[in-house]
Amino acid sequence: MSLLATEILTPRYELAWYPWAVQYFFMIAISYSALMLSLPGLVFRSERFMPLARLALLVAVTCTLVGPVALLADLHQPARFWHFYANPAPWSWMSIGAFLLPPYVVLTILYGYFAWRPALKARGAEGQDWDAKLARLLCLGNWQTPRLAVIVFGVLAALFACGIMVYTGAEIAILASRPLWNTHWLPVMFVLTGLIAASGLVMLLNRLMAGANSDVYRQGLRVILVAILAAAVVAATWFIQGITGYSPSVQAALESVRHNPDWTAIAVWALSAGVLLFLATVAMLRAPGWQRWAWLLGLLAIHMGWAFRWLVLMEVQTVAKNTAGYYHLAVEAGSYGLLGIIGTFGLWLAVLLIIDILVPWRDVNNARSATY
Amino acid sequence: MDFARRTLLGQMARLTAGAALMPFSSLANAGINAQPSRREGDGSKRYAMLIDLRQCIGCQACTVSCHIENEAPLGSFRTIVSQYEVENEDTGDIATMMLPRLCNHCEVPPCVPVCPVQATYQREDGIVVVDNEACVGCAYCVQACPYDARFINEYTQTADKCTFCAHRLDVGLLPACVESCVGGARIIGDIRDPDSQISRMMAEHHDDLMVLKPEQGTSPHVFYLGMDERFVTRPLADPAIWDVRNSEGKEIGYEFAGH
Repeated sequence: MSLLATEILTPRYELAWYPWAVQYFFMIAISYSALMLSLPGLVFRSERFMPLARLALLVAVTCTLVGPVALLADLHQPARFWHFYANPAPWSWMSIGAFLLPPYVVLTILYGYFAWRPALKARGAEGQDWDAKLARLLCLGNWQTPRLAVIVFGVLAALFACGIMVYTGAEIAILASRPLWNTHWLPVMFVLTGLIAASGLVMLLNRLMAGANSDVYRQGLRVILVAILAAAVVAATWFIQGITGYSPSVQAALESVRHNPDWTAIAVWALSAGVLLFLATVAMLRAPGWQRWAWLLGLLAIHMGWAFRWLVLMEVQTVAKNTAGYYHLAVEAGSYGLLGIIGTFGLWLAVLLIIDILVPWRDVNNARSATY
Repeated sequence: MDFARRTLLGQMARLTAGAALMPFSSLANAGINAQPSRREGDGSKRYAMLIDLRQCIGCQACTVSCHIENEAPLGSFRTIVSQYEVENEDTGDIATMMLPRLCNHCEVPPCVPVCPVQATYQREDGIVVVDNEACVGCAYCVQACPYDARFINEYTQTADKCTFCAHRLDVGLLPACVESCVGGARIIGDIRDPDSQISRMMAEHHDDLMVLKPEQGTSPHVFYLGMDERFVTRPLADPAIWDVRNSEGKEIGYEFAGH
């Protein structure tokens, strides 16, 4: 260090984004990734991918419902959310996101509803007990489910999902004030880690709720393999851009955390978790007998998706922009901290269980063989 | 930071300070993340501040008067004087570096286009303000500012920042920090008026003026005279103030802990 200086007076700058932001980015990434995983079975009517699509649809709908709640909670003035629509700012990625999110949520729910309706109708025809009555109520009448509806709403939801992918990534990546965010690779990494986490969650639910279907494990593992390899290439490219000075911003990003032991530990953790996930995925794909443990790998995949967002959104905020050193990241116990994190997961679990009770999602079949 | 990079940044700081003297050319406002059009304020003026660091004694009168004038919550500051203890590499002598920080009222403010509800905007006279009746408190602008000039006000739960005391300027008064500066280190004025004190000083010291973080391309309008170019970007200093935890990581004393 050529400058022998000691900072003796500077204010403590509070972190402006809370763990709610991590929860939103995590939930919405799982949502759009799971939606994509559901398309081959439900929209393109491939029988092979039906078991995967069933679970993926359940994951997509539940996460889509919970994600926006966390987003709202991260606003310091949540009751003013309507300002997004009263004062639009089309030059702001966040404003664009505010206009993409509601249609995405509605389309995903409609996609799920029309995919689930034939099974609901079948349950409704079964008798007079309470779940049959409820199913009849949810069917909103005795009309035939249009075959096209699943395809139309699936494709539209997928289009908006692409919009969500772009806006959530770009919103962070354009901020030159934080070099660790300011890279074109960030949106790509959000999508890849989202796919990893969504596959992991599908594999976990496959074990817990769907009788450990072997096709689901195999397909989930393949998605993880492709995504983790792509993520490795992206991470390596980002790193090379930094150390060679090809990108001054990435160079500044690396420089800002180079001498910090916490960030060294983070790098070691990320590398180890990635290598472990890769090796275990390859091993399970080569030795199908091991795939009954794939749900455990699913937990690791979920961890990666969440921890990447924690790292990007929370840890990066601890790197001071102007002052020397790093801020201390203290996660409060209350609703701005731990309670918010646990609360989001609790809400998701509640939504999952309610849908599990109300909707015979296991009986969803592809359009060709379904009873309409 | 190596010497070459430091020198380059210093030169960039000078160049950028110079560029601000050119007439304002309006910016495109069509693309995503481009500057939206300015509104309110007197378009014939362009307010800027010159801080003569040679006159600053680090008394924090500006910090205190700003706090009183603008009622910022305890622990949050619209302006503050950062202080560093600097050791001479050769002689070992110690000197104190004072660096008053505030909103730079940039020509290309990165905080403005990110605002999703048009709550933060730039006035025609260059002052960047927040309409806290419209602000949703998303803190996107806090993240976008490279100078840590913004914070979420814990009372209003909206974004807060230095406004050059626009409410005072508009009625012919000086900002609180300028009014209270004992050394006369802070000079505010209209840089479009060639006879203003700031214009005359900027012309006189043109080659010695520096701005913070010129590499961000924000074209700040707070100019520093007598600046050590090693402090233009985030200084490579030891963060002494953060040593407030004991070996078990427990906080052993911080002025604002508990607030």
